[in-house]
Amino acid sequence: MAISTIQEVVFGEDLPTFIPDTSLAIASQFAKLVGWGGPRFTDHEGARKEGLPGAMVPGILNQGYLVAMIHHWAPDAEIKAIDTVFRAPVIADEKHTISGVVTDVNEEDGQVEIDLTVSNEKGETRVFGTATVQLPLG
Amino acid sequence: MGMIVDQDIAEARDQFLNQDFDEKTFVIPAEKTIEYARLCGETAARFLDPAHPDFQAPPTFVASLSGSRALPENFPRFGLGMDAGKGVECFLPVRPGTTITGRTHLHDIYSKTGRSGRMVFAVSRIEFFDAAGQHLANADSRVVMREKS
Repeated sequence: MAISTIQEVVFGEDLPTFIPDTSLAIASQFAKLVGWGGPRFTDHEGARKEGLPGAMVPGILNQGYLVAMIHHWAPDAEIKAIDTVFRAPVIADEKHTISGVVTDVNEEDGQVEIDLTVSNEKGETRVFGTATVQLPLG
Repeated sequence: MGMIVDQDIAEARDQFLNQDFDEKTFVIPAEKTIEYARLCGETAARFLDPAHPDFQAPPTFVASLSGSRALPENFPRFGLGMDAGKGVECFLPVRPGTTITGRTHLHDIYSKTGRSGRMVFAVSRIEFFDAAGQHLANADSRVVMREKS
């Protein structure tokens, strides 16, 4: 069920798991959109020639996935801040999962904090971050 | 540069922090912000439908906007630089179809010592303003430089 107001948020609750589209097609389109052409985001073989395990999902696309996840959970949420650490590459065409947990709830000003993690199928954390989100007071 | 000492960090902080070193204007095309939102997996109409009364760029769109240079001229080369993370603060929505200005300064310089040696972090911040001078957002880029062995 989508969250509408701060009163519906429970401290410690998990956000619904989000499966981002980390396909090479999406990573490649995104990289070209933001002007980051080059094999590391568009071509597995070319990325391997650069010493990478495969083509990567651009870091800022991972950040965008985290925000989209929050909006799926609470459609009217306003992102006040998000800080993201790129711990290891997110390899395109590998399945990844985003999890989130509410770590602070302020019912007076309507703000919540959410810890977010992008993990691969081995359960390894690739990206993590924290978002401060404004929700309607209701 | 050889081994990094605390004084190198202190000198860099004194010389470079909080001084604008770049200014650039950015046109924000609606078709680009819509595609950005779609690729991120956004489904909310305010990011996808230009007819929506609150039509806006997705909040992290500003993270894709780069200034003319990432670090100040003459900034010391502490080691090989890698992208360590991004941060965004949102104050007001960025409206597609407008032109915004980004001013860049070095927001922080600090070091950490890990198992693989010492690392220096430099945080470049672009502050974005609309044509009326309203502060819309900040986008931070964190670069980590590993000490050359």
